[in-house]
Amino acid sequence: MAAIIRNLGARIACATLAAKHVVPAATTTLRFSSTAPAGAKPAEKPTVRKPDAAARTHLSDFGRYVAECMPKYVQKVQLTAGDELEVLIAPEGVVPVLQFLKDHHQAQFTNLIDIAGMDVPCRKHRFEVIYNLLSLRYNARVRVKTYTDELTPLDSVCEVHKAANWYEREIWDMYGVFFANHPDLRRILTDYGFEGHPQRRDFPLSGYVELRYDDEKKRVVCEPLELAQEFRKFDLSAPWEQFPNFRNANPPTEVVQPAEKK
Amino acid sequence: MAGREAVKRAVQQVRPILSVDREEARKRALNLYKAWYRQMPYIVMDYDIPMSVEQCRSKLREEFSKNRNVTDIRVIDMLVIKGQMELKESVEIWKQKGHIMRYWKESQDPKPTDFLSKFIQGIN
Repeated sequence: MAAIIRNLGARIACATLAAKHVVPAATTTLRFSSTAPAGAKPAEKPTVRKPDAAARTHLSDFGRYVAECMPKYVQKVQLTAGDELEVLIAPEGVVPVLQFLKDHHQAQFTNLIDIAGMDVPCRKHRFEVIYNLLSLRYNARVRVKTYTDELTPLDSVCEVHKAANWYEREIWDMYGVFFANHPDLRRILTDYGFEGHPQRRDFPLSGYVELRYDDEKKRVVCEPLELAQEFRKFDLSAPWEQFPNFRNANPPTEVVQPAEKK
Repeated sequence: MAGREAVKRAVQQVRPILSVDREEARKRALNLYKAWYRQMPYIVMDYDIPMSVEQCRSKLREEFSKNRNVTDIRVIDMLVIKGQMELKESVEIWKQKGHIMRYWKESQDPKPTDFLSKFIQGIN
């Protein structure tokens, strides 16, 4: 993106320079450039990000190294969307793996960008918890994924990353994943008295209750939701192809194979 | 042999949340009940709700006995944790009067069960 902006900026600067200094010739150059035969360049797609081969090899090497260092916890290493490294770990290994990624001199993933959750009810361990990390030193990002279910607690990473405090509260509030050893686990997004975890797939979009101000009681009262109409299901699949530019884009995931033993 | 394997499959090793056996879980639930029970006069006073302490305590008992049939230790722990959080929210006056009065469900009419009241309300 930055490169595109830089390119654009350079072109604009050239144009203004030409306009300033070569005023009489400007029209002719313009005409020449417009009538010149187009070079045999392949069509550029500036909106499609190109995969960086060097970054890819670096990331997959690093992923392989992490898997070798922590064979007990790392279950799978993969690249998604071409050049995004994902490390899939067992739920017991959240703290050691993040500590390793933070403190290892060749990694230095000291920034916890976000913790995300994902709910797939058909799985045995239905929740995925995803830690997005950034290494400012090496300008690299990594995603650490783990899994849990409704009742299995995950270890809190507050000791490793201070930023995890609120993110874990969000995950607790939205998904109901319990974090053991969290210093202050309580609701953060929902209202006091709210029941349930709204980001779970089995939580209805409209919720279970509705609130209104009662004039007689002079306060807000809470009543179970009653819809006049049944919830409608829409068929949202389109008959045409939505993203033809991405027809031969990178595969969604590529597994990084562990190094062969010699 | 097959029976033993079946038992092994049924009894799954899981990570405990807080308690490791039933007795501990029971103690936690009782402690939570006691903490709520002792805080009741202060909650009634702070929120200025039109209920007496006895009414609140019977409501507390009702809320606890809703979950009396829960046997899974981890589910009990999870309920205790949520109850603890709720107690903290009530004691620190993070809630408001409406949140406390929500337990009584005053504005909700009970659903009609017999034919005549269903007919009067227009529900078939």
